[in-house]
Amino acid sequence: MSIIEVRTEGRRAVVTGPPRLNMTAAPQLREVLARAVAEGSPQIVVDLGETTFVDSSGLGALVGGLKTARQAGGDLRLAAVSEQVMTVLTLTSLNRVLRPFPTVEDASREW
Amino acid sequence: MSGDYTLEGLSVPESLDQLHDLLQQVAEEHQGVASTDLMLFETAVIEIAGNVVEHGRPQGTVAWTFTLAVLPDRLAAVLSDDGQEYALAEDQLADGRWAMPEDDLAEGGRGLALASVALDELDYQRTGGINSWTMVRHRREDTAQ
Repeated sequence: MSIIEVRTEGRRAVVTGPPRLNMTAAPQLREVLARAVAEGSPQIVVDLGETTFVDSSGLGALVGGLKTARQAGGDLRLAAVSEQVMTVLTLTSLNRVLRPFPTVEDASREW
Repeated sequence: MSGDYTLEGLSVPESLDQLHDLLQQVAEEHQGVASTDLMLFETAVIEIAGNVVEHGRPQGTVAWTFTLAVLPDRLAAVLSDDGQEYALAEDQLADGRWAMPEDDLAEGGRGLALASVALDELDYQRTGGINSWTMVRHRREDTAQ
């Protein structure tokens, strides 16, 4: 069952996160992010507007996607994070490398 | 520990959704518990349970029991499993808490560290062939972390 949507437009991709980004969904997200980069869209916004929960495996998938995107000359940005996601990013200090933006539009500016 | 809530099953990824659902039930039935407390407690529970799913051996056949109690001053849970003993990296322990990876771009190694910062007590014991993770979070006011 696919719960992660992807929209690509040239070098850009918007990936919609699953409701719970835990170890059941993380491998799929990892795959989707790798494929977007491999297919020529390394400027990725992960829309977490519907994601109410993330765990460390989900964070690992996001960091993996960030590294893959950067290696291809792009980046990975987060948009519309929930309170739990923001808290987890802060507690792990990952907000330093996975900077959250209020909306997908905000994250898509100034690549 | 006698708990208000109990869940039993196999430590497989799908069981994590049952734990999420149980925590949601707790939130609905205990609306006086601050949402931040429950959110952080759920974060820790899923990390510990995910750790058992990932590292419990023999993989896929480890049976676990989860009990949770909502007490006036704290949330307390125990996750017990009948798998092999865990080989925990003691060098990751600092001041009684697991440390975050030094590399900001590490893709793993944050699970126990995240659980321990979300909790006030996190304890692992191996007794009589059973692994037990005890998780406690003291209840705060809604505005406090």
